[in-house]
Parts: sequence; structure tokens; C-alpha cells
Amino acid sequence: MTADQAKTRLPSISLSPKKTRAVAPSVSSVRKRNLIGYIFILPWLIGFVGLIAGPLLFSLFASFTDYNITSKMNFIGLENYKRMFTLDDMFWTALWNTLYYVIFSVPLTTAGAIMIAVLLNQQVKGMKVFRTIYYLPSILSGVAVYFLWMQLLSPSTGLVNQFLHIFGIEGPSWLFDPNWTKPALILMKMWSVGGGMLLYLGRMQGISPSLYEAADLDGASGFRKFFHITLPMITPIIFFDIITSTIGSFQIFQEAYVMTQNGQGGPGNSLLFYNLHMWNNAFKSFDMGYASAMAWFLFIIIMALTFTNLKVGKKWVYYDGGDDK
Amino acid sequence: MIRAAVRRANQNKRLNVKKSMVFLILFLGSIMLLTPLWWMLSTSLKSPQEIMQYPPSFFPKGFHLSNYIEAWKTGDFTRWSLNTLLIAVVTTIGNVFVNAFIAYGFAKVRFKGRNALFVLVLSTMLIPGFVTMVPQYVLFSKLGWVNTYLPLIVPAFLGSAFNIFLIRQFMMTIPNEIIEAAIMDGASYFRIWWLIAMPLVKPALITVAIFSFTGAWNDLLGPLLYLSDEKLYTLQLGLQTFKGSVQTQWNYLMAMSVMVMIPTILIFYLFQRHFIKGSNISAGMKG
Amino acid sequence: MKKVIGSISLIVILLLSTILSGCSNKSDAASSNGKVVVDFWTFWGSETRRPVIEKIVDEFNKSQDNILVKHTFIPWGDIWTKNLAAVAAGNPADIVINDINSVSQRAENNQAEDLSKYIDQDTFKEQFYSNLWETVLYKDKPYAVPFTTDTRLLFYNKDAFKEAGLDPNKPPATWKELEEYAEKLDVKQDDKYTRIGFYPLFGGFGAPSWLKNADNGTGYLENGELTINTPNKVKALEWLVEWQKRYGKKTIQNYQAEFSNGQTNPFIGGKVAMFTDVATFYTQIRDSGTKMNFGVTTMPTFDENSKPWSDGGGFVAEIPKGAKHPKEAMEFIKYLTGEKAQKFWAEKNYDNVANIKAAESVLNGLTGDAKTVYQNAVDSMQYTTLSPVPNQYPDYQERINPLVESAIDGKITAEEALIEAEKDVAKMKK
Repeated sequence: MTADQAKTRLPSISLSPKKTRAVAPSVSSVRKRNLIGYIFILPWLIGFVGLIAGPLLFSLFASFTDYNITSKMNFIGLENYKRMFTLDDMFWTALWNTLYYVIFSVPLTTAGAIMIAVLLNQQVKGMKVFRTIYYLPSILSGVAVYFLWMQLLSPSTGLVNQFLHIFGIEGPSWLFDPNWTKPALILMKMWSVGGGMLLYLGRMQGISPSLYEAADLDGASGFRKFFHITLPMITPIIFFDIITSTIGSFQIFQEAYVMTQNGQGGPGNSLLFYNLHMWNNAFKSFDMGYASAMAWFLFIIIMALTFTNLKVGKKWVYYDGGDDK
Repeated sequence: MIRAAVRRANQNKRLNVKKSMVFLILFLGSIMLLTPLWWMLSTSLKSPQEIMQYPPSFFPKGFHLSNYIEAWKTGDFTRWSLNTLLIAVVTTIGNVFVNAFIAYGFAKVRFKGRNALFVLVLSTMLIPGFVTMVPQYVLFSKLGWVNTYLPLIVPAFLGSAFNIFLIRQFMMTIPNEIIEAAIMDGASYFRIWWLIAMPLVKPALITVAIFSFTGAWNDLLGPLLYLSDEKLYTLQLGLQTFKGSVQTQWNYLMAMSVMVMIPTILIFYLFQRHFIKGSNISAGMKG
Repeated sequence: MKKVIGSISLIVILLLSTILSGCSNKSDAASSNGKVVVDFWTFWGSETRRPVIEKIVDEFNKSQDNILVKHTFIPWGDIWTKNLAAVAAGNPADIVINDINSVSQRAENNQAEDLSKYIDQDTFKEQFYSNLWETVLYKDKPYAVPFTTDTRLLFYNKDAFKEAGLDPNKPPATWKELEEYAEKLDVKQDDKYTRIGFYPLFGGFGAPSWLKNADNGTGYLENGELTINTPNKVKALEWLVEWQKRYGKKTIQNYQAEFSNGQTNPFIGGKVAMFTDVATFYTQIRDSGTKMNFGVTTMPTFDENSKPWSDGGGFVAEIPKGAKHPKEAMEFIKYLTGEKAQKFWAEKNYDNVANIKAAESVLNGLTGDAKTVYQNAVDSMQYTTLSPVPNQYPDYQERINPLVESAIDGKITAEEALIEAEKDVAKMKK
């Protein structure tokens, strides 16, 4: 057992791949490796050049024009950006609402997904059924779900407030009280945390049981095992989850679009999210130039955050394959 | 010997208490997660009159199972199911294999410009789709692909940033020595990808498969934009027939939503078996 | 491995066959006996609407030797996003059903065809209510043809009226009466309202509509000039604030949230005694199974001297810019908005149709509640104004609404809200 433990731990922690590579690779083998690398990513390159890059660059250019989708596209310089920062008060409202949502929903859903994954990684009767149930809410999509939630969040007949009532709490009017609209949406997001859970579960299944067995022999507690084995081993997924859910949360749209009157952003503009404001500009006012400017400003914000994540990530993300960056 | 046995017995007892606790927590959590769905199910069994009643009833008064049959008959749902299935299966295959291929390049082959290109991959996720939607439509239209499944399927074979990133994260955890040992043995990069890397990241592949299938199954915007022939429609487009400008046929909408959901649940339930199997292989290889 | 490869090749074969069949579909369409195929997109897919529109299409197709109209359902709301993308790509449908209030906005952005060359405007326009026809004009040329319209009416619960000692055949005619009646119709139990007599912002008549009702039918804009901050609008907004104060913010929020999911309705559920909505709301009451005894009337007036101004909307048939067969499309639009098809549509759906003769002849065939509702809707038409989206201020509503909301919430005064709104809208002028 101890030998086995040593085998799994030693190479990954103490030896970095650079050290194992004793002989410097020859020029021709470097060239070959470059070629092979590009062969592996070739499908993506084709897709990027053929399908993605064009529309992306087009929208970047459009952000400096008065593009209205169907007839005009005159260069107007930084006019859209100027209008965005100096004239459009709703832009700031939308940005604030979105930041609020991101700041709360990302940590909550990440922690929630990890907790559920830990529970679902135990060996308990009926685990397959439990896993299916916990994943189920994230399968559901479409308008039906949002209307379902509107019913659940009804102040007096909705189940959420009836549940709170059991504990003597009088629940708020949720989607109609500007102070409670965003928490309501975060609650909804928490409900469908199953997608993230699946990622963590997948990684936890890949952790060698020998690590836990060794810890058991040392008499380690469950908490200790979680913080010293599970958590370090799932850091690559936490890293992935934080980056992608930050991107996703910044782009929240559908909920607000469906659940507020005429898709206008709800009581007191409390659900006017960034993408909703952008959508209204693009498809209601046909001001796609302005919407593109908004999109590229958002791009800069998320890019900055992602870069920070990538940099900081190097400090705390642990790849047991060896960090070969 | 005896002390060891006692310790083991105590441990088992602790283990049993712990297991019951976990079971209890999971059970209570399940109820909380399922109650919202109960509303969906119960609405799908109500008559339109009962749905309009205030306060809404928790249990349907009459069991209108006929909602399911009638809803199915309002449109060509059999054809739409098959269409959706075709799109979902093909895109899932593309997503799993192509993204795993690309991800391996980013995770385990050192090549020039890799990091910069990877940042480019991530950055494609950052631009909201609304602003690229129209130019992309124009592009597909110029290719003559509008009103075919090509705009929905072909991109799945050219990689998606989310899936590449996800599989890459799992591949990064494969010990480099395994790969280097295989290279020493003279295996080609592609053999290593297929025979070593792929089995080791099986949980990730299953996850991508589940996500892609569910994603394609539930996609509304893609089919909406690119399909203009009702014969080619998908289930999500079919579901929209119940939602009108003035009124919504809630009983039908909920009944069909329940039915549309079932295949994705089945896929998940079936795939999670492989989930566990996959882990055994990887644990076995490591041990 | 073999299994995987086997199934992949199977899928590829399946895929190819689908694509091929897709191609053969196309050739089907082209070779429909040499007829010109007119693509017609609507959002009418439900089991009540689809048969009606398809019957109209069939009737037309039977009467034609070289035009074949092909109807396709595209989901409500999304249909216009799709239309926009298709116009941008140059392959739109030949006819699309669109919103009436934004016709000139689309005309200005070059999304719709000018129809003046296919019709003789002076005689053609006679068929339709003039306020509708004006809305489809852009620089004096029509860019769409009105199909249906709607107007807001006041529905009231006759049983509740009797219970409160009010005459069920004498609904409130002015704002003042509305207040008096509401007070009598309120039912309170332990400080909580179990029935609200009336709250102006429930139902289909929003704050902008009340402000218009008070201001002689003038909306936020008149002939391109901003008319947001007017004395009557300030009064109307102050009046709305009073209502909120009377019932309390919490009561109102709870009511709104309770009935926001589109399934239950506070009027049909007996929780509100008077309620504003469009004429087709009648079919919801009828189908609810509650056997409710209801009355209906035109909008109450601001004071004794003003008219029952109401707010309207509706849908038009439009030829998207770049359509392949505009001439043939126009032939069908003429049929669709003609008396026969319009009458058929109205009989089946109780929609207010745009064609005057059709609307009036439908009325003669109706009886009972349906007749009362329809009669009131036709009466209301002459005092109904639409709210076309102004080209200089396309997002004016999104800017005004939050300020109006703030005023109703008591955060700012009504006057402050409207002054600020007018400034805000002016600032974003294009």
C-alpha cells in the first residue's frame, strides 16, 4: 500500500517534467512536435478562421460605426463609446446589476457544486438516482422553467415563501420588489447547479482511491481528507468552473428577458442586465453599432478578469500531470 | 489483533452513521430540487380551467393524461423528435471526439504559439453571441446552408472553446511520465491520444457528451434562425407553438416539456454508468 | 473501437441522406407546377389560430393559377429576430406578420418594401381605420398593410357590483367614479385586501396609457415633438401615485407577483373587481369555466368633458426588403386584408380586424356577451390612438418607464419624474 502511494504521489509532486527530460530535444524533433501540435488543433483553426474570426472582426469594426443591421454602416469613430460612457445612464445601471449578479452567483454556485459533488461521491444506496435528481434541474431549459419559477416565487401562494413561512419568516415579493429581484435570480441559478456538480464529480471519480486509503491509515478525518486530497486534486476544475461561470454570469440574459415585462428589465430597472440592454439596443432600436461597442467593452472587462485568473491560477491550480507551462 | 478488530468495528459504526447522514441530506435536498418539477408535472395534468384557478391547486383535481396525447397531435412531433435526435447525436459525436483531439494538442503537445492560441480560444467565449449572430447568419446564407442542418452540425466538428477548455483541464492531470514512456516505446502521438489519453479522461468525455446532447436537444436559437421549413423543425421549435401572442396553452406546454425532458434524463442515467467505469480504468492505470 | 467507428459511419450516412432529402425538398418547391411560391411567415401556430390562417391560405391558393402561398410558423417574438437576420442576408420571406407600432422604424431602417407601387393608395386605404393606416405610413408611403388591431376596454364583475350595492348596468364613466366605485368594491379582512376594487396598473392599460387618456389622447410624442411633461400628464401620474398609496406598496407588489406567471388572472380569480384588457380577454373569461357574470365598457374619461381615450396596437402584413416575389406577395396581402378573409378571422378569434367593413359585418352576426364586447371595441376604435415607435427616440419607453415607476414608488414627485424623463429622452435623440 505504501509503495503504491509513493508511486502515485512521487512523480507528480516532486518531479517536474522538465527535470525528467535529461537530453535537450533536437531541432528536427522540435519541428515535428510543432507540426503535430498544429495538426491536433487544426479543426479549431479551420473553425476559427472560417466561421468565427470573420463575424468577430466584423462586430469590432461595427462598434465604430452606426451599423443598423440592414442598411447603413458609416464610420463614426468613438461616438458609440462616448455615448456609452457619458450619455447612457442605463448602461451604468446595467453594468452594476450584472456585477452584482456575478459577484454573488459565481462563488455561491461554485461552492454549492463542490459540496453536492462531495456528497454524491460517497457510496450510499440509490446514488445513481440521487445523481440523476441533482442533475435534473440543469437539463430543463426554455421558457417553461422561468414561468415555473414565477409561480414558485409568488409571494403568498408560491412554495418558496410557504417554506419560509414554516420558520416564521415572511418572504418578500421577489420578482416585484427591486431589492429582491437579483437574489431571486441567484436562487434560481443555485437550483440548477447540477451542471457544475457533474464536472467536479467527474474529476473526483478520477482521484486514485489509494490516496484516501493511505489517509485512512493515518486516521485522517473527513475534513482533513477533503482539504488535503480532494480540494487540491479538483483545482483544475475549480479553475475551469470559475472562469466559465464568470463568463456565463456576465452574459446573463434569458432570465431577465423572459421574466420581466416586455423584456424591459423589471421593476425599477433592477433586472436590466448588460446583455439585456445590449439586446434592446441591437434588436429593438436596431442600433447594432452601439450594441457592438457594448459587447467589446464587456470583452475587455472579462478578458482582464480571465487574464488575472490565468496568472493567479498558476499559483493555486495543481495539475498532477506536472505543470509544463 | 483484538484491538484492531475493535477499531475496525468502531470505524464501521462511524462509517454507517456517516452514510446515513449523507443519505438524509441527499434525500432532503432531492425533495427541495424536485418540488419545482412537481409543479410542472401537476400543471401538465390539469385542465385549462383548473390552471386558471386561483389559488393554484397543488394536486391536480382530475388527471388529464389526455393532455399528453392531444399536445403530441397538435403538430408533427414524431418527425420533430427524430430531427432533434439526429442533430443531437451527430453534434454530440463531433463535440466529444473533435474537442478531445484539439484539447490534447493544447494540454500535452508543446508547440510554438500554444499559449497565445489557447488564450485566443478562451477569448472567443467572451463576446456575446448577439453581435456576431447576424454576420454569422449572412455567412451561412452565402454558403447556401440556410434551411439545412449544416449550420447546426458543422460547427460541432470544428471545436468549441468551452469543451476544449474542459477536456484540456482533465488532460492536464494525466501524468507526463505515462506519455513519455509511450513515446520511448515508439508510439505515435495519435496512438497515445486514442489509446492512453482518451480512456484516462473518460469522465470528462462523458460530461462533454451529456452537455452536448442536452445543449443540442434544448437549443432554440440555432434551429430558429436556420430552419424555415416546418418539416425540418426540432422539438424546441415545436414547443413554441403552444406559446402565443395572447395566450399560452399551459397544459400542453408543460406536458410536452415533460416529454421533451425524458430522453435527456435517460441519456444521463445511462451515461453515468460509464462515468464510474471510466474512473476504474484510470485508477487502475495509475495504481 | 469498431463499434464507435461503425456508429459514426451510420450517422454520417443518415446525415447525408437528410441533406439530400433537404435538397429534394427545395426542388419540390421550385417545381410546384410552375407556380410562384410566396413564403409567408406568421407566429400563429396554436391549435386555435393555425387552422384559421391555413384555411385563408388554402382558399387563396385555390383561386390562383400562378401563385402558391406557403405558410410557415415561426415562434412568437423570435420571428422578428429571424426576419431581421434574413433581411440582412438578403433571403427573407415574401410576407411576414409584424408589429404595427414599429412599421415606420423598420421603413426607416430599410427593412420593408415600399408598397405604394402595388396599390392605389387613395382607394385602398378607405378599407381600414384611419388611425391604423396612418401608422403604416413612412414619408407618406405605406410600408405594410394593417391586419388586426386592439383597443383597451374596462371589464367589471357584475356580481361584485351587486354585492357592493352598485348598479351592474352603470359602470364608472370617469376617473372620479372609478375611485368611488373601487372604494365600495374593496374587501378587507384583518388589514389585508381579499379583493381590490380597482388598481389602474393591473391589466393591459399601463402608465403611458393612463397619461395618454388624461391628455386628450396625446402620447409621449406628438408630431415628432416630445410631450412627456405636460400638466395633464403630471396630474395623471399624481393620480397613479395616489392609488399606490391607497392600497400600499406591499399589497400591490404582492398582487403583481401573484399574477405575473400568465396562468392565473386576478379578475377571473375574483381578486380584482374591475380590470383593463383588450377585447379578446373575453375568450379567456369564457374558457375559464368560472361562468363569471361580467360587464364591459369603454375607458373611463379623465373628467366629464374629455373622451374615453384608449391605447391600441396590432399587427400588419409586411413585405421584407429584398423579398423575391413582392408583386405576388402583394396579391395575397390584398386578399388577407380584404373583407372576406378579415371577417373569417374575426369570427373565429374575436380579434379586432383592421378592415372596417369586416369588423362591422362581424358585429351583426354576434349575440350575447360576444356582441357586447365587440360592440364596445368597435366604439372604442375612434378614441384609440396607437403609440408608434419614434425614429429619433427608438428606446424612449425604456427610458421613461423606470422614472415613472420611481414616481409611483414615491421616490420622486410626479413632476420631477416627467421633467427628468423628457430630459433623458431628449439627450438620446438620434
